[in-house]
Amino acid sequence: MKKFNLKRAIFGAITAAFTFAMAPAHAHFQLVYTPDVNLEKPGDVPFKLIFWHPFENGHAMNMGEPEDFFYVFKGKKTDLKNKLKPITFKAAHNESKAYEAMVPVKRNGDYILAFTPKPYYEKSEDIYIQQITKSYLNKGGLPTGWNEPIGLSTEIVPLNKPTNILAGSTFSGILQSNGKPVAGAEIEIEYLAAEPDMTANTPGKVTASPMPGGAVVAITDDNGYFSFGIPKAGFWGFAALGSGPAKEYEGKELSQDAVLWIRAYDLK
Amino acid sequence: MRLGIGLAIAAGGLLLSSMSNVASAHTPLCSCYDNGDGTVLCEGGFSDGSSASGVGMIVKDDSGNVVLKGKMNENSEFEFQKPDGVYTVIFDAGEGHDIEISHEDITE
Repeated sequence: MKKFNLKRAIFGAITAAFTFAMAPAHAHFQLVYTPDVNLEKPGDVPFKLIFWHPFENGHAMNMGEPEDFFYVFKGKKTDLKNKLKPITFKAAHNESKAYEAMVPVKRNGDYILAFTPKPYYEKSEDIYIQQITKSYLNKGGLPTGWNEPIGLSTEIVPLNKPTNILAGSTFSGILQSNGKPVAGAEIEIEYLAAEPDMTANTPGKVTASPMPGGAVVAITDDNGYFSFGIPKAGFWGFAALGSGPAKEYEGKELSQDAVLWIRAYDLK
Repeated sequence: MRLGIGLAIAAGGLLLSSMSNVASAHTPLCSCYDNGDGTVLCEGGFSDGSSASGVGMIVKDDSGNVVLKGKMNENSEFEFQKPDGVYTVIFDAGEGHDIEISHEDITE
């Protein structure tokens, strides 16, 4: 009996420590990553799909099974789900289920990639999280619709070209749910602190760490508009929490989030 | 009457030059692909998203002789029979706006 209590006490302490450690790391981000988003030549572009705490180079989660993966090019949808292959991402302190894909790109223009995983159960919050994620490629410098919505149930529509934001400038977008602007929504913003090593499936060099004060947040205005100054070159993610129309999954609360990634460069 | 026509021509010239000024504020873009069936497809455009429809396309051989000439269609595309050997494709959007693409850079 005493032993049992001790075990529970230890378990409780571990759980508490874990919960505490996770609490500031609330920002889950579905990553749809490729190192070079501006292409000059046709070819196969490698992507990594990782569910992670990217700002702190932290814990990676076993992401939900892919539900949908495609790109939109000049208004036309191309399915990419059959390109996905499971991988193991070796994060700084744990390993997680992730995916990779080789995406063939030929013609000039904007490629808007969209990935929807099945909802992920977040034990510490007892909720499901589903992050509908957009990421962009451009080939040949030709703009062909990066600023258009692509009909996702919730999405951030960029107002600055997401493939070449200048560090020190701003990024603005409009948050939509079922095509309508979402007012007063919380948007968490994270920097990809360690860009993944594309062959080793590990975090690469760590170039930043989160500052004190918790998540970086912007709130959308009455028209669903938000803006954020981009202080540093690299990959920046925006996650609108619970902006999607679906609010429940398997009897539990669902946070259906809209995520968008942009690439920022230094002006040299 | 003559003066009127002269003015109209001048105005037309002014319009043309102002149009080309607008064009100089953006960058011409052109890429070509070997279709693998003996034809080559080029697509053009400008960095501000404007169409390259009507832009002249020239294909030259090794010695700089014009092999064929054409224009970008309404979709800013131009397809042609691939010449034998060395060739160069020129996207001719006017002075400062032409792009030369070597056959070595045109792959499937």
